[in-house]
Amino acid sequence: MKPEFELFDRREFFGVVTKTAAILGLAGAARASTEGAGTANPFAYDVSRFQKTDPKLIAYEEVTRWAAPHKEARRLAIGPDDQLYVCAGNYISRLSRSGQTGLELALAGPACCVAAAADGTIFAGLRDHIEVYDAKGGRTARWESPDPKTWFTGLATDGKDVFAADAVKLAVLRYDRNGKIAGRIGQKNAERNVPGLIVPSPFLDVMIHRDGLLRVNNPGRHQVEAYTFDGDLEAVWGKASAATAGFCGCCNPIALAMLSDGRIVTCEKGIPRVKIYSAAGEFESVVAGAESFPENAHACNDLNDCIHGGLDAAVDADGRIYILDIVTSQVRVMQRKA
Amino acid sequence: MLRRLKFIGALGAMLLLAFLVSAGQRFPPPDFDSGYRIPSPTTPAARQLWLQYADAGVFLAALGTAVWLIHQKRSRRGLFWLSLFSLAYFGFYRKGCICPIGSPQNVVYGLFNPEYAVPATVLIFCFAPIVVALFAGRAFCAGVCPQGALQDFMLIKPVKVPPWLEEALSVLPFIFLGAGLIYAGTGTGFVVCRYDPFVPFFRLSGGTFILTLGAAFLLAGMFVGRPYCRFLCPYGGLLKLASLAAKWRVRVTPDTCTQCRLCEQSCPFGAMREPAPAAHPDGLGAERSRLGWMLALLPVLVVAGAWAGSRLSPAAAQLHPSVALAERYVSQQTAPVEYGLMTPEALSLERAAENPAALLTAAADLRHRFDWACLLFGGWIGLVIGVKLVALSVRPGRTDYEPDRGGCFACARCFTACPNERVRLGWMPAADKPTAS
Amino acid sequence: MDPTPQSNGPVTRRQFLRNGARLLTMTGLGVAAGALATRSTAAAWVWQIDPAKCLHCGNCATQCVLEQSAVKCVHAYAVCGYCQLCTGFFAPEPNELTTAAENQLCPTAAIQRAYIEDPYYQYSIDEQLCIGCAKCVEGCNRFGNGSLFLQIRHDRCLNCNECAIARSCPGEAVRRVPADRPYLLKTTSR
Repeated sequence: MKPEFELFDRREFFGVVTKTAAILGLAGAARASTEGAGTANPFAYDVSRFQKTDPKLIAYEEVTRWAAPHKEARRLAIGPDDQLYVCAGNYISRLSRSGQTGLELALAGPACCVAAAADGTIFAGLRDHIEVYDAKGGRTARWESPDPKTWFTGLATDGKDVFAADAVKLAVLRYDRNGKIAGRIGQKNAERNVPGLIVPSPFLDVMIHRDGLLRVNNPGRHQVEAYTFDGDLEAVWGKASAATAGFCGCCNPIALAMLSDGRIVTCEKGIPRVKIYSAAGEFESVVAGAESFPENAHACNDLNDCIHGGLDAAVDADGRIYILDIVTSQVRVMQRKA
Repeated sequence: MLRRLKFIGALGAMLLLAFLVSAGQRFPPPDFDSGYRIPSPTTPAARQLWLQYADAGVFLAALGTAVWLIHQKRSRRGLFWLSLFSLAYFGFYRKGCICPIGSPQNVVYGLFNPEYAVPATVLIFCFAPIVVALFAGRAFCAGVCPQGALQDFMLIKPVKVPPWLEEALSVLPFIFLGAGLIYAGTGTGFVVCRYDPFVPFFRLSGGTFILTLGAAFLLAGMFVGRPYCRFLCPYGGLLKLASLAAKWRVRVTPDTCTQCRLCEQSCPFGAMREPAPAAHPDGLGAERSRLGWMLALLPVLVVAGAWAGSRLSPAAAQLHPSVALAERYVSQQTAPVEYGLMTPEALSLERAAENPAALLTAAADLRHRFDWACLLFGGWIGLVIGVKLVALSVRPGRTDYEPDRGGCFACARCFTACPNERVRLGWMPAADKPTAS
Repeated sequence: MDPTPQSNGPVTRRQFLRNGARLLTMTGLGVAAGALATRSTAAAWVWQIDPAKCLHCGNCATQCVLEQSAVKCVHAYAVCGYCQLCTGFFAPEPNELTTAAENQLCPTAAIQRAYIEDPYYQYSIDEQLCIGCAKCVEGCNRFGNGSLFLQIRHDRCLNCNECAIARSCPGEAVRRVPADRPYLLKTTSR
């Protein structure tokens, strides 16, 4: 109940209003200032520890690097003549080991893969067919793929047979020198105990090992498989893991190469790295770790464009490893540390 | 021929689309040999629209019932049960949302942001209690508001709030209303909803701060009747203004007031008012000059308030997430802070770095909007204080003991204090009525 | 209803002022209601997450006013690759590709893994266990097809006037959608 209204009401009222306003203002300011020093996100998906390689595991150092002759480099190979063959854009370039371009083949479409025989024949893999060139660069043959949807991503030859890895049909085709298909390797076949290749992104590679068996990467299963030329599965190794000794992410390894003593060089994308395993599949060392491929990591993770990321590797007669960075179209030459 | 071509064209388009859809995927769609059928994700439906309208219908029915209980039936018990029903339905069942207390924010948000269209049910929730208050007083507060009902039930021993404190704190609801409306109008957020202390109890979950605040209000409500309603509720401020113009006032007595003063202490909310004392001829001149000074002060207060409000603008704007992000981005360039991996701060800074120009332009626009909004807000506060001072200087025209027009919650507690009412109810014979003192 | 006390001069003047104020207010309300009603919608609004803008920050699990967040992970099976090594299911460094808890990414083991045929596995979400933390969403989007995404489930959401998650979302991914189309489901990988 209100007493008779008097002057004193208003003065006290003014005072109280001012004090209340001051308190509110302080409270508001205090609340605003306690907002955030960043606290940790307990649900963070943290793969950053895999981006760094233990320096003790890195056995190679970079000697030099140079740009590929063209942009959109995809594959490189080293022929028996110790020359480098680089697929970049619509061209296949034959380079000396220091990067000087010798021969250049202009193709009608993107150059996807390449292999060279001892007699100088160059097998150029375009997306859906293979073209055969002689040592001087003249085209001698064109081999079609038996399948309409083909994507050749890897070639290997020992001079007699040519093996073409088809990433879409999930098989390695065996061609003879005349272009006739002599067999299919790696396709799913329950009777022959072949589980089949899983190739989510177009990176299927094939390599002829010095032990007489083929090596094919099976990226979806994170394995490397060894086949006879007739297609019998002899051995399988590989483990899925983001850790250094395993194959990371969705689909790795993406490329294979061989050192002269039979050890295998593997390339991965996602966490881009090049590693060395023994012929039986035991992890040995790292050639170049994820820290040395920042553009590659960015392409696959931030831009979500793993199809255009990737690495390829080849080994020369002196044991130097050439790494092709598909994102930057550069070739790096790596040499074993002393 | 043409039809076949069209068919082939359509088929080709579908195949192309299928290819394009799958082309973006890292992993191609599997083809299953075993006859496995790909399931679809479930989509549990939102609350159906007819239920929203049913809520509005119940709301209007409750309002009507409250009006009838206050003015026709004059029953405290009926109002008690109605408020219990409202607490159960609008409080614990509907979890206190949509509620009229926050709805002016929706209305203002809808007025200033063309992409938001106010749903019809929200309009009903916002305007119906005000319309009712214009005619019949704060029937909403008495019988329909679940927050009010909760506080009512917590009331154990009402303590009298000193009048000067009561008058001073009664400005707060208007400040809160102004703040809520400028934050809604600028699209920053709904601060009235954010700081409603009772809704976490209805939801049975909430953060530490808001639950503590709610508990504090409930504890205070045991002794100070309806603390949120009297000193903070922004919608209550609107209802108070509407109720001042009410056609049918809440009256303690069903007929003539005999000035027996039995109802003086009966209001637990400090809303009972006595008749104005007789005007002293000598005092009248001083009173009128006081009123004149207060009226002259009013525009000064408005201008001063507007100026003070405009000073507040940068701080007020910080509450908007875009402005806060822009400020964080700018300070990150000069004094970088290391935020944790994948924390919201780190992620929002990454997003900001993609297009800083757009963010900074948007933040500058918002700051500009806030400049105007805070100017209005400050002027509004000045107006509220000035009008309060004028109201305190105006001689009330009361001749009876009656509840304050704006502050009465129409809870009907004072009715049975009046002997006339007791006679009407048949609780005592007419002969026992006290004579006027 | 009792009449108001009658007629001295000041009361009548005040009554007149009150009537005027009432009329003015009703007119104002009518104008406001009319202005808004032309733009008003019959449909109510509900909140929903736009998967294209979601940054997988984990706020959905912690900011919802409910104890168990109304946000759950949803699986767009049509986009899924059904991989043996699901990067949304398995932790980055699994010991083996089994359902053992140490190999799983989900903190509450809310994803069920079922073998279909070689090499395909079905991954489905148990909504009772899911807390909406987006760890699996991040894994799936970063290395997989992106078929896992977060959505506000409307059998749980209270549909607050101001969504506490929307307020704190760093990607501004939570927005109002009409209640008759309350979901923004993913149909493609990106």
